[in-house]
Amino acid sequence: MYCIETTHLSHQFALGKNILDDINLQVPTGSIYGFLGPNGAGKTTTLRLILGLLKKQKGEIRIFGQSLAENRVAILRKLGSLIETPSLYGHLTAAENLLLLQKIYQCPKSRIPEVLALVGLPDTANKKVSQFSLGMKQRLSIAVALLNQPNLLILDEPTNGLDPNGIIEMRELLKRLNQEHQITILISSHLLAEIEKLVTHVGIIHKGQLLFEGTLPDLVHKQQESSRVSLITNDNTRSLQLLKTLQPEAQQQNGKLLLPLLPPERIAQLNRQLVQSGIDVYHLAVEKNDLESIFMELVNN
Amino acid sequence: MATILLHSIQSEWMKTKRSAAFWLVLIGGVFIPAILTLVHLVYIKKLGKIYSTTPFWEKWLINGWESMSILLVPMGIVLATSLIAQLEYKNNGWKQVHTTPQSLTTVFFAKYIVVLFLMLQLFVLFGLGMYLAGAIPAWYFGHIPYPKEAFPWGKFIQINASFYVMALPIVALQYLLSIQFKNFMVSLGAGVALVVAALIALSWRYVYLIPYTYGAIHFLQLQGKMRFKSNILDVHYLALIYFFAFTLLSYILYLTKKEKG
Repeated sequence: MYCIETTHLSHQFALGKNILDDINLQVPTGSIYGFLGPNGAGKTTTLRLILGLLKKQKGEIRIFGQSLAENRVAILRKLGSLIETPSLYGHLTAAENLLLLQKIYQCPKSRIPEVLALVGLPDTANKKVSQFSLGMKQRLSIAVALLNQPNLLILDEPTNGLDPNGIIEMRELLKRLNQEHQITILISSHLLAEIEKLVTHVGIIHKGQLLFEGTLPDLVHKQQESSRVSLITNDNTRSLQLLKTLQPEAQQQNGKLLLPLLPPERIAQLNRQLVQSGIDVYHLAVEKNDLESIFMELVNN
Repeated sequence: MATILLHSIQSEWMKTKRSAAFWLVLIGGVFIPAILTLVHLVYIKKLGKIYSTTPFWEKWLINGWESMSILLVPMGIVLATSLIAQLEYKNNGWKQVHTTPQSLTTVFFAKYIVVLFLMLQLFVLFGLGMYLAGAIPAWYFGHIPYPKEAFPWGKFIQINASFYVMALPIVALQYLLSIQFKNFMVSLGAGVALVVAALIALSWRYVYLIPYTYGAIHFLQLQGKMRFKSNILDVHYLALIYFFAFTLLSYILYLTKKEKG
């Protein structure tokens, strides 16, 4: 069961130029879905379409199994969001900002101190938001998104403006919300490192196209697949000829000999063969791509 | 539906608390009465004669409407509606508003009703201010007699209500401009230009075509100084027609807007 599902979602701002191109996003219920991509990849546009902030041009959006176009209000009742910069009224206090939304959601007023405490702002209820730092505004925006006890949280780069400690706290909070309250979370970021410790699923978007979608283990598997053995010898040409007879996938690239990731015994055997043929091996290593490199590789390809 | 709209109005009303629009309406409402009170204090010796004339109150109120109808109310509306919409633009509020579980119709009319209510507040404050500005000298200074006639509450409300109707087309068009354009200068600039154009158009034969002139026209009609008569309809009806037309246009444009925050 998918909490969010988009089918053939495309969007253009200017005629003929697709900002989003056939996006088929599937966010499983109960997951923390990291929506990754560099700046300008189409993350915010996708999230704005999912929230109905942009008029849909092509494709279908389903949230909680219902069509967004037909059930917008009912869907929004069970959803909390934070898109880009915080939406807060600077001339009002933190509690007043929450109170004006409490009027709309008609949730208990007791939720106001609850959510303020949850995001670590318990003593700021009567402070004007214009006096808040960016990090505090970001936290208050999360409190706003949590006010109606949503089943789904959509957060667009929520750690913007937070210090390292704040980022860790935010991560822990989101994990807790997901595990204890079964809230599905869709979180966008342009930094994989920032959310890889948080997410269960990943979608990677670049230039409006979804390049990868799957679980975090799927991405880790992709990482292992792309790991290689690299060698540098005193005679790479002769080494390549020899290696090709033993391991046909061998190739030369940028002054290095590259082989797919092999069992340690096989690597030792190949090394022995080279040495026994009178070739000096200067460098022998397993090159493991980290997730960030996979992300960059996907994006750059 | 009505309950949802009521909750939405409460939420929108809360946003005006301590806002620039709130202070503008408060100060705008009592500005002319305060000025007239100051003038009274300067010409205190002449007040006895003025207060002895009948009818005092009606003349007094119309006198107050002179600057209000021609300049201050239109300018106040231009500023207040722009400021209300700017509350959302300035605070990135539209995207929050549009992701709450409310229909677009509810969002549009809740904010609109708050703007109309703020304007009503301006008129009520002005009315009360005029009453107090008229009554205080008689209460305070022994040599000034309290006007002999009973205070004409009905007439007072009727005159203020008429001017409110005259202001409605301006509210509607300024609301349209304010929510359509993110740039504060568009609604403000267009509003100021239209107010100035209306002042110039007062001596034009087709002045009734320009809804920003209706307050001034009504004032001149009350004074018996309006040069041209409307060949089409009474200015009250014209104001209401413009108001509903601008409201409808504004609603359609809002619903069909591609980006909502």
